[in-house]
Amino acid sequence: MRIIVDIFLIFGCFFAFAGTVGIIRMPDSFCRMQSSTNIATLGTLGAVLGGAVYSFWSGNIGTGVKVLVIGMFIVLTNPIAGHAICKAAYKYGIRPDKKFVCDDYGRDIADGK
Amino acid sequence: MIELIYAGVFYILLSIVLIYRVAKGPNVVDRAVASDSIDIMTSVALILFSLYSGRGIYLDIALIIALLGFIGTVLISRYLEGRL
Amino acid sequence: MIYLKKTEKLEKGGVCLKKTSLSAVISTFILCFVFYMLFTFAFNLEEILVGAVVSLIVAVFTAKFFIHDNPFYLFSTSRFGSLLRYVLLIFPKELLKANIDVAKRALNPSLPVKPGIVKVPSDLKSEYALSMLANSITLTPGTITMDIAEEDGKNYYYIHWIDVATTNSEKAGETIKGTLEKGIGGIWK
Repeated sequence: MRIIVDIFLIFGCFFAFAGTVGIIRMPDSFCRMQSSTNIATLGTLGAVLGGAVYSFWSGNIGTGVKVLVIGMFIVLTNPIAGHAICKAAYKYGIRPDKKFVCDDYGRDIADGK
Repeated sequence: MIELIYAGVFYILLSIVLIYRVAKGPNVVDRAVASDSIDIMTSVALILFSLYSGRGIYLDIALIIALLGFIGTVLISRYLEGRL
Repeated sequence: MIYLKKTEKLEKGGVCLKKTSLSAVISTFILCFVFYMLFTFAFNLEEILVGAVVSLIVAVFTAKFFIHDNPFYLFSTSRFGSLLRYVLLIFPKELLKANIDVAKRALNPSLPVKPGIVKVPSDLKSEYALSMLANSITLTPGTITMDIAEEDGKNYYYIHWIDVATTNSEKAGETIKGTLEKGIGGIWK
């Protein structure tokens, strides 16, 4: 049982590490947002599932359910924040140094600013 | 279960690395995204520490940190969009 | 994101808020009470009483934001079964695939990204289905939904994509949301 918890924890740590490296290395703001989603989904879920398995195994069910609910809360609220800040960045006038490959949003709705 | 503490320390080290992006980031959106990620990772580290030490009070603190990070990010984006 | 249809009655970007009905209050009350019991996880009489009173007050004031359709739509076995199948089977598979892809891109020394914003049509109609598909697309790393626009009866998503493989909107839609849209189409109309 201890090995299962370890596998979940290492899984979560690996994806959190990949997301951090992505935030440090990516070239422009929108790509950094994509990497931060990487932290919030599997980097969180790995550690939370490992903690829940450990807590169920050692017998206190209430703590395990609470941990699962907190993980579900983080996973449910992150896309709303990501969507809001992505749209705000575009409307605020932030563009990458390299041009977009194709930019349908600027063509259709938000002309210029 | 000493691994829980190891994983929590690893998450905290990753969030210390992210402070580089908060300090340097070219514009405000980079800083907001990086501090949102710091909030989430601090919350996960608190969950792991609570499971290790067996005290339930840290779970409530983790929940409140996650909630405040979400509200702060949405507030910053509303302000940038000019609708606040 | 949370998508609400615009109405003609309230101009200046107003959205349609329904009047509060009793069945909407009841279904919101059930949701709040279940979450209260999951958080406290104590089954005394006092806890249950306090939880019921707090959930009732919250439900009366927020039911008009939550319920815009038939409130007991999900209370049937086939729809709830397909919702569980979507949450537990279809979505984690896509999540795992996209996560491994973005992690490989971030750890690759040459950093192969090709960002762009594509416009993607969708067949779904109701507000719940559009919101759920937009949140699922944002939650998979590599794609973020930016806006939803409605043009002559069809709904279009604007999606920021980290690796634009094709600029044709039909093919891009098939790549981004092919299996997710089929899974959601079984739950909502």
